[in-house]
Amino acid sequence: MAAAAMPTPDPERRDNIPTADVQLPAVYSYTQVTDEILDTLKITKAWFAGLAFAVLCLAVGAAAWFYQIYMGLGVAGYHPPVMWGVYIITFVFWVGIGHAGTLISAILYLFRAGFRTTIYRCAEAMTVFAVMTAGLFPILHLGRPWKFFWLIPYPNWRLLWPQFKSPLVWDVFAILTYLTVSATFLFIGLIPDLAVLRDRETNPLRKQIYGVLSLGWRNSDREWRHFTRAYLFLAAFSTPLVLSVHSVVSFDFAMADVPGWHTTIFPPYFVSGAIFSGIGMVFTIIIPIRRWFKLKHYVTLNHLDAAAKLCLFTSLVVGCAYLTEFFIAWYGGSENEQAYFMNRVFGQWWWAAWIMLTCNMVLPLLLFSQKLRRNTTFLFTLSIFINLGMWYERFVIIVPSLSHEFDPWRWGPYAPTHIDWAILVGSFGWFSMWFLLFVKQLPIMAIAEIKETVPPRMRHATSRRNLDGHSETPGTIAANEVL
Amino acid sequence: MRGIVGVFPELDSTVEAIEELKKLRVGDVTVYSPTPRHEFDDVLKAPPSTVRRYTLIGALVGVTFGYWIPIWISDYWPRVVGGKPIASWVPYTIIGFEVMVLIGSLATVAGFFINARIPRITQTVGYDPRFSDGSFGIWVECRPDELETVRRVLKEKGAEEVRGDR
Repeated sequence: MAAAAMPTPDPERRDNIPTADVQLPAVYSYTQVTDEILDTLKITKAWFAGLAFAVLCLAVGAAAWFYQIYMGLGVAGYHPPVMWGVYIITFVFWVGIGHAGTLISAILYLFRAGFRTTIYRCAEAMTVFAVMTAGLFPILHLGRPWKFFWLIPYPNWRLLWPQFKSPLVWDVFAILTYLTVSATFLFIGLIPDLAVLRDRETNPLRKQIYGVLSLGWRNSDREWRHFTRAYLFLAAFSTPLVLSVHSVVSFDFAMADVPGWHTTIFPPYFVSGAIFSGIGMVFTIIIPIRRWFKLKHYVTLNHLDAAAKLCLFTSLVVGCAYLTEFFIAWYGGSENEQAYFMNRVFGQWWWAAWIMLTCNMVLPLLLFSQKLRRNTTFLFTLSIFINLGMWYERFVIIVPSLSHEFDPWRWGPYAPTHIDWAILVGSFGWFSMWFLLFVKQLPIMAIAEIKETVPPRMRHATSRRNLDGHSETPGTIAANEVL
Repeated sequence: MRGIVGVFPELDSTVEAIEELKKLRVGDVTVYSPTPRHEFDDVLKAPPSTVRRYTLIGALVGVTFGYWIPIWISDYWPRVVGGKPIASWVPYTIIGFEVMVLIGSLATVAGFFINARIPRITQTVGYDPRFSDGSFGIWVECRPDELETVRRVLKEKGAEEVRGDR
């Protein structure tokens, strides 16, 4: 039997920004892309209702915070030995959520993963708002929040600088750099789309605002040439940054001589966990968006399938890290570590550990089934469990360790109070408020980049082929298979 | 009159028009497209972007500054703890790395703005809103005696609209 002829790669081929591995069979023209994505900006009653609910949640959190400022940090359930609780748990949770955005927008961009094209804008916005939310928690955790600027590394009036060997100072550098670079990356990617909004807008005031924000962008060859380079370099900077930020966050714990914390596995464990939780949140956001905004032909089942594989992979890494922790505690022979890990799964907070293990390690194994990877109801439900599991992962890392240190006389209980829960709800309200405002003011999908995956109109070609001879024809897969 | 702008619905006809204009050596050609297309880079034979130089310089400045600050501060209040060196380069690498990324990224953006010549106060000359939607465009800035040649080439190659602009 003759061997099947393998396609030979063309050395002349030069890639556009994304290689369209994931096709959009129901998207035919540039104008269709513009029309359909700009349609999502129309304000609806449901959006107003969602925004009102988010603001209500934020108000609950703000009220709890003011009460805490008046009464003192004790109302948040802090007493020795547990002086880090829900606020630091939620801080790490939101920083983690932010990681998937950079993974999808920067790392998958460098890898030319086609499925990122239609979901990365949502993920990038999610990153910026998640880091903005995370940044509130060190301030909420201060007894005197109006002194928050003491966190910023600058000398005091005695010319004493902060301790640069402290992980908390590294944290400030890492988080501020991450917020700045993520916001810059989001804005630079938005410039061509802001020009589309400017050119389509009929309201003079909004046109003026979009005109200023788009910086006079004209889609010229010069602008595109430098834009693509700048975008590539920003992606190249963001990639090690995303790995460094959660490594630095993990140093907050790993540098301390506390059972369960003082371990070298923490940086990769935290980074993979962060990406895992972020992908979970991407599913939580993108699945309702594709349905409510009628964008199923942009975020197809193939896109979700590819993202689900990434979710499964990171879940396996996280699961491996969980098991490694237990193994090292046993193999290392430290009685304190062994006692801590026994306490983790059979002690006071056994239920939290089992929620963590079930949601993050066991349930994602169902993603080995392709049928489930392509079931949006399942993916959405799983994403809720992942969000829950990852919040409890941080709970399991922080609370049992602090409450069960070396000496029994130092052991103590901890219970979150209604203030903790109210501020947790407020953080979701804050995040949702910004995200809802974003989805109705700016395109939730990258118009210019999606157009790259759509074949341009041709005058002479009978088939829709690119000028360099490579087919970009959609429809090699049937639309009903992916929508 | 400063030049002629042509609006093209198709990619291949735009490329052909650019090739013809390049062959005739008339005026300065600027191409507009709703999305980056490497076909235009090929036909225009544009030099590589110099944004990378800004990136490199920004990153080098950032990493130098990021190391210098904590080392200088350690020397400013030199206190030996546990016989360890005053300046500990291992933890300072974190500061050096983060500041390298921060300054390098901002320098990249500055390089992009400078090279792409944005922010721009006005984009009306030689521009059409269709260029951000679904059409391609060619703007040719040329001498008055070349205007008719340019107009003819753009029409012949399939422009759906050709107009003068100043």
